[in-house]
Amino acid sequence: MKKAISLVALAAATLPGAALADFPVRPIQMIVPYAAGGSTDLTVRIVAETLERLYPGTTAVVRNQPGGGGGIGTSAAVNARSDGYTLGAGAQGPIAILPHLGGTDYSIDDVEFVGLYARSLQVMVACANAPFDDYDSFIASAAERAPQIGNSGAGGANHISAEAFAQAAGIAVESIPFGGSSEARTACIGGHIHAMVASPAEALSAVDSNQMTPLFVMEDERIDLFPETPTAVEKGVDFTWSSYKGIIAPKGIDDATLNWLRTAIADVVADPQFIEVMTEMGEFVTYEDGSAFEARVRRDGDMAYSVLDALDMLGVNN
Amino acid sequence: METIAYLAPLLQPQVFGIIALGVLGGILIGALPGLTATMGVALLIPLTFGMSPVMGLNMLIGIYIGGIYGGCVSSILLRTPGTPASAATVLDGYPMAARGEAGRALGMATVASTIGGLIAAVVLATLAPQLAGIALKFGAAEYFALALFGLTIIASLSGDLLKGAIAGVLGILISTVGADPIAGVMRYTFGIQGFASGFAFTPALIGLFALSEVFTQIERMAKQEPAVVLVKGRWPSRQDMRDSKGALVRGSLIGTLIGIIPGTGSGTASWISYNEARRSSKTPEKFGTGYAPGIAATESANNAVCAAALIPLLALGIPGDVVTAVLMGGLMIQGLAPGPMLFQTNPDVIVGIFGGTFLATIFMFVFGMALIPVFARILMVPRRLLTMSIVIFCYIGAFSINLNPVDLYTMVGFGVLGWGMQKFGFSQAALCIALILGPMMESNLRRGMLQTGDNILAFISGPITLFFLGLALFSLFGPVIARHLAQARIHKPN
Repeated sequence: MKKAISLVALAAATLPGAALADFPVRPIQMIVPYAAGGSTDLTVRIVAETLERLYPGTTAVVRNQPGGGGGIGTSAAVNARSDGYTLGAGAQGPIAILPHLGGTDYSIDDVEFVGLYARSLQVMVACANAPFDDYDSFIASAAERAPQIGNSGAGGANHISAEAFAQAAGIAVESIPFGGSSEARTACIGGHIHAMVASPAEALSAVDSNQMTPLFVMEDERIDLFPETPTAVEKGVDFTWSSYKGIIAPKGIDDATLNWLRTAIADVVADPQFIEVMTEMGEFVTYEDGSAFEARVRRDGDMAYSVLDALDMLGVNN
Repeated sequence: METIAYLAPLLQPQVFGIIALGVLGGILIGALPGLTATMGVALLIPLTFGMSPVMGLNMLIGIYIGGIYGGCVSSILLRTPGTPASAATVLDGYPMAARGEAGRALGMATVASTIGGLIAAVVLATLAPQLAGIALKFGAAEYFALALFGLTIIASLSGDLLKGAIAGVLGILISTVGADPIAGVMRYTFGIQGFASGFAFTPALIGLFALSEVFTQIERMAKQEPAVVLVKGRWPSRQDMRDSKGALVRGSLIGTLIGIIPGTGSGTASWISYNEARRSSKTPEKFGTGYAPGIAATESANNAVCAAALIPLLALGIPGDVVTAVLMGGLMIQGLAPGPMLFQTNPDVIVGIFGGTFLATIFMFVFGMALIPVFARILMVPRRLLTMSIVIFCYIGAFSINLNPVDLYTMVGFGVLGWGMQKFGFSQAALCIALILGPMMESNLRRGMLQTGDNILAFISGPITLFFLGLALFSLFGPVIARHLAQARIHKPN
């Protein structure tokens, strides 16, 4: 065993030119900017597992670096050595929204986009005891009194999406921040707020047991899980929003390594077993290559910018 | 009859084995400072992908229950809370161990954890759907009142009221560092990104209790070589059990109720239980000096929270604390959606989880008792070596949680703070309670003000809110009034 390791080390040392073809010779680290156990963390672990299974001999290690709304771990990934061995989980909040709030040492321009592997669709739901139960009564009720919409944290993704929808639909809403989406969900089922933005997985069991009512879907088309629920687009409001999960890296990785990584992520997303496990968790598996992923993040970033501008929150942490 | 049939998947050797393994792993994870039950559960979720739902979930529940129990080991032996849940156990556990009764202290903690766990498991299995409704009644105002009630513990916990209040206020001020919970603006971070979510909690506790103790001991060692501590026995004495009866029952019930309320957790439960045990005791002055009922109160409460936190998760699909939130992820991977429908669609899973909770608690008792002599032997290590290894553990523990170097500064800073507080008679416990409850009080007060349009009367009008505010007043002024009445009786001429 020891001999094998030293042979590999020798090979790596004497054949620097061949190192590209041999990528990876060391474990690949994937930094998750949240604590272990959240949905981003769990999906990255499944990506790592699938990668190891599809590319025998490859080791992928997940490292959790939570804190600062994901800013700390994302900064660690973006500022890592650009040799392809340190990657990051590209979550919407830290890459598209946090830099606008300030206090981060990176921006969208510092991020290399490897690939997107899942989107989290978003549904606006009415909570228990809310004075509305479908899209039309929601809009009508909002005209009289701004509904209280819970979100998972001020300046977080579903704070932005609720406010962005209100802007697009021309209604007023009152955003109520909670410490995480599960706190908001608890308050929603308990009837302490009127509505919230949830993922279909979060909403499904609660909708089945009449604890929540779906109002509209933030997609172009209706989704399979809630075929009865309209989209905002079909109600005449030009508004779509989804959260996503992808893999990012620091800028400056050489082309061969970057290509290897991009192909690897594409292979992972195409794997049937990966799709099955992810779907059971309520994730919407879809693949977007680096440039499509980047375009999506920039589009979101622009929308977040205009919402934060209206809320007077731009650069509050600078 | 059907229920017994549902127990069948539980009664297999592999399932027994996996629960036992989970509990044992959990105890070790909990006993090591810096490794928490949450981490243990989260890291092992991928292992459950291939298991049957009952097997996989019960392994995770085993880790959870073992992990919360295991925290008491390092609290008692090293004054280092292995998990935030057992920070309150330091108060009586460590003095007892320092007296040479580490075995007895660990035994008391094990018995108390088992009783708390079993009582909550009975409640879980019999009343889950009915009690789950309580969880839904808690809005911003109710959480605020509960946190305020919890903070009044500071008054009775610290001998010197003024110094206790100063320590508590300092704790609340410290807890405001980081992102503002409502506006999202950074407060007092001085532009350091590592402080964006405030001082990390576990590193702060490790510094406050463990590193500060190291400083104190080094100071003492410079003067004289301390005697080697002896370790005696592992069972609490009959007298201990008789003294602790009330504390055990109250602790278990308090833990169960707090566990049902989402987002409060075992740290809050153990402090409230400790305070109640002390308040209702005939000899409150013995608390804090290594008194068995003190351990009984905290450990029965924090393990009752484990089973109780499963109640809102299974019955409503609402996780009661961080670990159950992770467990919810585990359930969903198995294709099960927790919530009211689960009782109808998958009664086999529900019964399997109920049974697994009982089994895990029993395994915890067996392993705990068996391991006491092994754990207690830590104290036989010469003081100098032990002190140095505690320092190393403090650093590893503080760093391993978030891999954030800033947390090491936090740990050292709180270590110096704790040492100074101890030296000048300020209560570290008061600071710790304020760190736990301050953010809960602040965010819910401000959220409630936002929701009611700054109408304080509408905010505090709910019955549960008024109940807890009443309790808070009682807890603050009750002792004073009682003393006055007693004095009045003495002075009254017959």
